[in-house]
Amino acid sequence: MINLVSSWFKVSLSCLALVFSVSVLAEVRIQDSQGEQAFSQSPVRIAALSWELVEDVIELGLEPVAIPEREAYQEWVAQPVLPASSVDIGGRAEPNLEKLAQLKPDVILIGAALKDIQAKLERIAPVVFFDTYQRDHNNQEKADQVFLTLAKLLDKEVHAQAKLAARQQVFEQLRGQLNAAFPAGLPKVTSLRFASTTSAYVYGDNAMPQYALEHLGLQAAMPLASTQWGVTQKRLKSLRGIKEGVVLYFKPFHFEKKLAKSPLWRSMPFVKQGNVASVASTWTYGGAMSLQYLAQAMTDSLLEVAKQQ
Amino acid sequence: MMRFLLLCVSLPFICVLSLQIDSDLSLWQQWQILLSQELDQSYEQIDWAYSRLPRLVMALLVGACMGLIGSIIQQLTRNPLLSPATLGSSSGAWLGLIILAVVWPEGQSQYQVFAAMLGACIALALVLMICGVRNLTGLSVVLSGMAVNLLFGAIAIALILMNDQYAKNLFIWGAGDLSQNGWEKVYWLWPHCLLGLAILGFAGKPLDLLKMGQSAASGRGLNVAALFLVLMLVGLWMLSAAITMVGIVGFLGLVSPNLARLIGARAAGKELYISTLLGAILLVVADSLALYLNTITFEVVPTGLTTAFLGAPLLIWLIQKRLSQQDKIAYLTNYSKASFTSTKLLVSGLALLAIVLLALLTHMDDGLNFRWPDEFAWPIRWPRIVASLAAGAGMAVSGVIMQRLIHNPLASPDLLGVSAGAVLALVATSGFLGWRIGELGPLVAFSGSFLILLILLVLGSRFRFAPAPMILTGVALSAFIETLVQGVLMKGTEEVYDILRWLAGSTYRVKPDQAWVLMLGVSVLILISLSLHRWLTLMSMGREVAAARGVNVKRAFILLLILSVSLCSLVTSILGPIAFVSIVAPHLASLLGARQVSTQILLSALLGAGFLQLADWLGQMVIYPNQLAAGTMAAIIGGVFFMLLLLRNRSVS
Repeated sequence: MINLVSSWFKVSLSCLALVFSVSVLAEVRIQDSQGEQAFSQSPVRIAALSWELVEDVIELGLEPVAIPEREAYQEWVAQPVLPASSVDIGGRAEPNLEKLAQLKPDVILIGAALKDIQAKLERIAPVVFFDTYQRDHNNQEKADQVFLTLAKLLDKEVHAQAKLAARQQVFEQLRGQLNAAFPAGLPKVTSLRFASTTSAYVYGDNAMPQYALEHLGLQAAMPLASTQWGVTQKRLKSLRGIKEGVVLYFKPFHFEKKLAKSPLWRSMPFVKQGNVASVASTWTYGGAMSLQYLAQAMTDSLLEVAKQQ
Repeated sequence: MMRFLLLCVSLPFICVLSLQIDSDLSLWQQWQILLSQELDQSYEQIDWAYSRLPRLVMALLVGACMGLIGSIIQQLTRNPLLSPATLGSSSGAWLGLIILAVVWPEGQSQYQVFAAMLGACIALALVLMICGVRNLTGLSVVLSGMAVNLLFGAIAIALILMNDQYAKNLFIWGAGDLSQNGWEKVYWLWPHCLLGLAILGFAGKPLDLLKMGQSAASGRGLNVAALFLVLMLVGLWMLSAAITMVGIVGFLGLVSPNLARLIGARAAGKELYISTLLGAILLVVADSLALYLNTITFEVVPTGLTTAFLGAPLLIWLIQKRLSQQDKIAYLTNYSKASFTSTKLLVSGLALLAIVLLALLTHMDDGLNFRWPDEFAWPIRWPRIVASLAAGAGMAVSGVIMQRLIHNPLASPDLLGVSAGAVLALVATSGFLGWRIGELGPLVAFSGSFLILLILLVLGSRFRFAPAPMILTGVALSAFIETLVQGVLMKGTEEVYDILRWLAGSTYRVKPDQAWVLMLGVSVLILISLSLHRWLTLMSMGREVAAARGVNVKRAFILLLILSVSLCSLVTSILGPIAFVSIVAPHLASLLGARQVSTQILLSALLGAGFLQLADWLGQMVIYPNQLAAGTMAAIIGGVFFMLLLLRNRSVS
């Protein structure tokens, strides 16, 4: 009986403590893609399990303790540079949960790829879920929103605002360069990634490269309906519709020389006019600040085009 | 003869028609281009001359190659079920390309041909090694080919998943794409096709001799071995060349020769000609369909897809029409003379226990450590362990039943297209609802598997469930579904990797309740199998024996088939496809001397559970902190082990 009373007492006490901690101590409240989350204090040890979230955390001036696929990130995303302290915990789709637990994170940031194992992750640390890429929202606005929400969670809001303002300045500056390079008016531009010498993944509405171009004041040369990732596969032939515009293609493309030699490619209106250039390898499914890297890389290529004319 | 002429005449018509699709040029303008070889700079003309025309020529060349090679292989082996794809060459070429893309991406523009050819040749060599050059006439070679396909496919998926960005551009090749940019590829391919002309000219007579049987042919001075070697090598060389250029285009090699025989090609030479012609016609028609679909949809439709849409129904129709009950072999027990003792069961049980302990105790933090899992590791580990044990046991028993039912030690339920059905259901539902595959429950996968079973039962009742057509129908269905999936993969967006990840067969995402459901379901189904052991014993002695002992053969067959497929689908729906356990575990059990059905079921279950758990554990160790899926590891270890076993068997006998 005494046992029962004491255990009841314990339970009610802990309930009280719980209520207390949520209502009074909760200092950070954020909205992730599933609703409101409350944290008693800003997490310090951050596990970012998706590359765009890794980018965001680093851009906020922090070093995530756990990240997936270190080598592949350095190869394909590259910017921002990974801190040496971030530990590789394995694949983006199947991160090593035990290794993650050993790193004792305060919070785990995930994207859509890991939503179905949220319950497993929650045993390790609170999970914050950001669904950046969706067909029915604006991916870039969402990326900015995710960036700001993260900033709020990590107590870096001032830093984040400064970063976004700096990004805006970079856009202005790049736009100035472009305007100077194309005195007759800015061309329309479409970017793509070749899949073979006969087909390409074209970035259309809701694609990050497309948003980057929009921020530079450039319109799409080949308007494409919005999709989840913003990319649509197209036959080479359908590119001939781009009569006036410029085509930028992302590297790496290992059949570049073969394509350049082919009569089909050479008879494209934009190739004949010299309105084509390659873009240095850049990650096209990134976070808020990746837009800036995209804009820089694509501006470099466009300046090349302008120089050739 | 009339029919042959008719085909010859129809080909040019089809070609001209095909050239009219998606082209603004009039027939007269096209004719002018052909005659004058002069182009003005309009895009339409250049497109026609450098894209459409080479594409047509490519379709003709590749189709003809496939038809010819199919006919050669089928005549040499006198096996109407064989095609280049069943000999593993396309999966070999696929793996070769992926390895090149991962290891040396810059080399792709120069060495793709080499990589694909090497892969195709290695795959073929493996198939021949497994089934033996003398055994090319039966179902065994089809099953060996499927085994090699599974092994290579598993390795390819693992490589893609570990290097997702590198492999992206290869998906379009995997889907079979005939689109051309210039004449380069045609120029490369046509000299290889000259070999085909030589075959057409000279192979007819010796192949006719071969029809009388090997000994009779040798008696008339034919060097059978040399003929076989030369024709096979030349054929597969052409095939590798064609695959390398256009990617995976299935069905033609299997369908064309059978169709040729159906319309009355009796003599060997004639069959070669008609099959070649049919292959060309079929591919041009399929490609025209793809071209047409490309003009009315926004998506890119690959030719491999339209070929499958034409070829799969044709193939299933042919199977229904041509194949009667031909296999009447009893279950082949060519294994060991060792007798089964309870000590062996005990040792197997202990080994299983050791494997489970190994999985629980090993930790990879700063070096290899052994300790009891802590509060974090425990909830992560136990669902995986329970799931892989149950899945291993389930697949093993499923294999025992299938092998005894089909009378072939290489048969396995996933060959019937069960896992292909599951993946189709997942891909279709996720596409329809816009959810990612991980969010769909196992029920979707399970219903997909059962849909395929239902189709098989309906189709199978026509030929009274004879094993060979049953397996072939399954193979045709899964090849068809695989092509559909390749068509989806071609989109190349991030979520297509979900499909591949599911195909790898991983325990990573198993939830605790799913693990228990799996364990419970598998246990119940194994108990049912044990209670039906008398049926299975009699059925494996042959249908006549079973019928004589008062078994309702048809009902017993259907029930046992459902049992086997249920086990396989249950496992597949929760983990994804798990290959090879269903072949290796029963095989091992027989090696250990388990002859009776019930002992084989029990021992296989133990061995299967241990094997899959070991595979899962190894998968988590070898590339820590990354992991390889249990299905991948099982396919790699099982595949290699399986080949070694067969080699050893061969050298003993």
